[in-house]
Amino acid sequence: MNDQPVRTKQLKVGLEIHVELQTRSKMFTRTPNVAHPEFEGADPNTLVDPVVAALPGSLPVMNKAAVEMSMMVGLALGCEISEFSKWDRKNYYYPDLPKGYQISQYDLPLCLDGAYTIDSVHGDRRRIGITRAHLEEDTGKLGHELPGGGSYPGSLVDLNRAGTPLLEIVTEPDFDHAEDVVTFAQELRGLCRFLGVTQGVMQKGHMRFEPNINLEMVLDDGTVVKTPIVEVKNLNSFRAVLGAIQHEYDRQERAWREDGLVMGPGAKSTRGWDDERLVTVLQREKEDAHDYRYFPDPDLVPVVVDRAWVEEVRSRIPELPSSRRERYVRDHGLREKDADVLLEERSVTEFFEAVVEHPDSGGDAAAVCKLLLNQIAKLANERGCLIDQLGLEAAQVAGVVALRREDRIGAQSIDPLLVRLSETDEPADAVAELAGMLVVRDDSQLEQWCLAAIEANAQAADDVRSGKMAAIGRLMGHVMKASGGSADAKVVQAKLRELLG
Amino acid sequence: MSDGRFESCHGIRDAVRSGTRTAVEVITETLARIDRENERTNSFRDVFHEEALAAAGRIDRMVAKGEDPGVLAGVPVGIKDNIATTEGTLCCGSRMLEGYRSPFDSTVVERLRSAGAIPVGHTNCDEFAMGSSTETCYFGAVRNPWDPARVPGGSSGGSAAAVGAGLVPLALGSDTGGSIRQPASMCGCVGLKPSYGRVSRYGLVAFGSSLDQIGPFTRSVSDAALALEVIGGFDRLDSTSVEGTCEDCRIGEVPLEGLRIGVPVQYMDPGSNEPDVARGVEEVIERARSGGATVVEVDLPLTDKGISTYYVIAPAEASSNLARFDGIRYGHRTDRATASVDELYAASRAEGFGEEVQRRIMLGTYVLSSGYYDAYYNRALQVRRLIKEEFDRAFESCDVLLGPTAPTTAFKLGSKLDPMSMYLCDVYTVNANMAGICGVSIPIGLGGTDGGGLPIGLQLQARAFDEATLLGAARSLERLVEFGYERVPCV
Repeated sequence: MNDQPVRTKQLKVGLEIHVELQTRSKMFTRTPNVAHPEFEGADPNTLVDPVVAALPGSLPVMNKAAVEMSMMVGLALGCEISEFSKWDRKNYYYPDLPKGYQISQYDLPLCLDGAYTIDSVHGDRRRIGITRAHLEEDTGKLGHELPGGGSYPGSLVDLNRAGTPLLEIVTEPDFDHAEDVVTFAQELRGLCRFLGVTQGVMQKGHMRFEPNINLEMVLDDGTVVKTPIVEVKNLNSFRAVLGAIQHEYDRQERAWREDGLVMGPGAKSTRGWDDERLVTVLQREKEDAHDYRYFPDPDLVPVVVDRAWVEEVRSRIPELPSSRRERYVRDHGLREKDADVLLEERSVTEFFEAVVEHPDSGGDAAAVCKLLLNQIAKLANERGCLIDQLGLEAAQVAGVVALRREDRIGAQSIDPLLVRLSETDEPADAVAELAGMLVVRDDSQLEQWCLAAIEANAQAADDVRSGKMAAIGRLMGHVMKASGGSADAKVVQAKLRELLG
Repeated sequence: MSDGRFESCHGIRDAVRSGTRTAVEVITETLARIDRENERTNSFRDVFHEEALAAAGRIDRMVAKGEDPGVLAGVPVGIKDNIATTEGTLCCGSRMLEGYRSPFDSTVVERLRSAGAIPVGHTNCDEFAMGSSTETCYFGAVRNPWDPARVPGGSSGGSAAAVGAGLVPLALGSDTGGSIRQPASMCGCVGLKPSYGRVSRYGLVAFGSSLDQIGPFTRSVSDAALALEVIGGFDRLDSTSVEGTCEDCRIGEVPLEGLRIGVPVQYMDPGSNEPDVARGVEEVIERARSGGATVVEVDLPLTDKGISTYYVIAPAEASSNLARFDGIRYGHRTDRATASVDELYAASRAEGFGEEVQRRIMLGTYVLSSGYYDAYYNRALQVRRLIKEEFDRAFESCDVLLGPTAPTTAFKLGSKLDPMSMYLCDVYTVNANMAGICGVSIPIGLGGTDGGGLPIGLQLQARAFDEATLLGAARSLERLVEFGYERVPCV
């Protein structure tokens, strides 16, 4: 039992991230990949071929698309792309691992030595070193539940996920705060989604996080104590990442007080996260106990990447969310919160930019943003799709912005106009006109509608004349209805007052 | 002779194409011969009666319609039991895969089919191709057609015996350290190990992936060349197969005049070879010299390092390649009640694998273990590089290397009980696999210390992807010796 007071206590975290790449086919064979949106609902063991099931005589062949996706992520994280990398076998037995080895990259990964900067919880910008990013194949899944429900007494193997390309990104232990880890994890998810390498649906396991955590404490007498490193496996929500690190921050000090164990060879342990009790749970005592007998896979040739290939892949990388966010806030005056919503989906971002760039919108990014995130987002929500999937053209949306700016349509016309626009390719002003949504400025027409309203609502008219102004609403309603919404409410009210003295 | 027992692939092909014989006749005779005589050598484990006859019928219909049935039209082929076919079962000579059916064809079999060849059965081999005598085969040892008390060599013993005995004119084998050339030498047939990457390994059950190569057994060099032309060439299903077709390996005339033959001193060391083997090879050298060839002595000091290097690299790869046989998805699974999945693995594998396979898995697991990796596996890779460089230097002064294929003629069943003496059978052949070069064994005569009458094999080796020179030179030597395949004792 150690009860010496601690003077300072510093958290140290490095992060490993597994990203399932959404290539059409698997990492080493042409069978469809379950992480691709088109195949994610496949019945168990239907995405299987001789290579996936490791039938005798089958051989792996590298999927170039997976390598290019990894290069994209690597480049976006500022990594060097290795001119020469190779495939290694990681040997171990498990029923979800058909070959008895996993093809991975051991000592020569595809991407090396990058960095990514985040806004730290401490108020400054922090550079997070990226040690490496390498490609490997995912395993299958073991379950005890029958398809369609009902439990099974033994283990069931589903090989649909076996062979899905998996990009493993490893950071330096540069985090000192759980919230920074989450910020990084979220931004990395955004970045990967933006690059189109994953849908990034956490519940589906598209991204899995594994923080390596320990503490550096300075005791009252000046002694420095480093606690043993704990790796928390397979976290698939940001809440779990935050919770696991916060829990370890407390637990490791308590553990050290009890057992006095410090960092050293063989002292690393593996823990899991209990989502209900909100604690980490010991899984394996000594990481070093496993000998994976890595050796170069003789079935595959090394990956040789020349400069031209790197540049070709680099040219396909779009402007990244972090840079766009800065631009939206700085140049367009958007609120950071709104910018983040626009940046969540690359297609939405691109739609937003297309609208802003259209001459009709007058470059009024704030107005475009407002329209997209209010009325258009509402409509998209109703239809269960993304903003850019409503069938609206960027030019049409810019047209709506213009109609509002010029006060040619009333606010109440926006929703019905958008509905009509989503069904046609005609420009916004033509559709608004045809639908009689344009604000009527013709005085004689307005007067006719008002007179008709007074005639039809004699009682209300009398009330207004006698000073009960509340009754004017009924008259206005009549006019607006007669005009099909094209009358300007302010002008109508003024006219009615004029006519009723 | 009247039953076409010793007919060549070329001969059958020409007869079937021209309509003088039907493929159905050829296959019917072949199947009858196998049914009648297989007991004598145990060459075939499984015979594809119905499928072979159906395929023959298709070939005949093509001929009738005037379509081209391919360059191997109607040629019956024996397939080593570690090469996948959709017919029959694929067992690799192991209890582990007893009854296993492959849902797909290997690339070589697919190519043979499209060239009109007809797979007639799976031939027995050492378990997972591990052995040099075909005695580790779970389905019984194969016996040498020249003397049933002797082994056929291995691991492709069934294929070699089938061709040597005249059951089929063509069989496929696989060669990881000599498993085509050594049995070819002992069974009196031609056995070709192509350069690494020449022939697709897709569908070959892997033993040592960086060493394995499929090749043909035939009774003439030109038949071997024909078969290679069909099965060779790039395959998108095998990343280690080399770009391009196999046209550059088409056999050409390589006259003895001007041919530079290198004879490694280490291959002819007095005392290392059986007297008849040494004498036979020396005689061919003499005749080649009189035929106009230049014979130069070359030095390959790493010759005897091959075996020890091989027995690090091949088992290392095998220990990983054979991990998939875990009893979960296919293959042998123990009937015993097991308490954990680890126990299930251990029991299934202990029951499914034979002694030699288990020995090599343990050896391979050991050399890859952390702490031993550098001392064994990495060191072996370094030696492998040196062996390759040694060959490169040797080929500066000669076009082909010549020597005995194996130090001895066929030995008696059960006579090599300790693994080490068995491993040494491959002393002249393993290094070609280490270096990825091509090699061929051709029969040059009969002899042997114990009464004689056993085939003696001569090995030629050439630069990687220089099969044209290798086969051309082999054919020139073949003409010098006129082996006489029909001398093999028949039933």
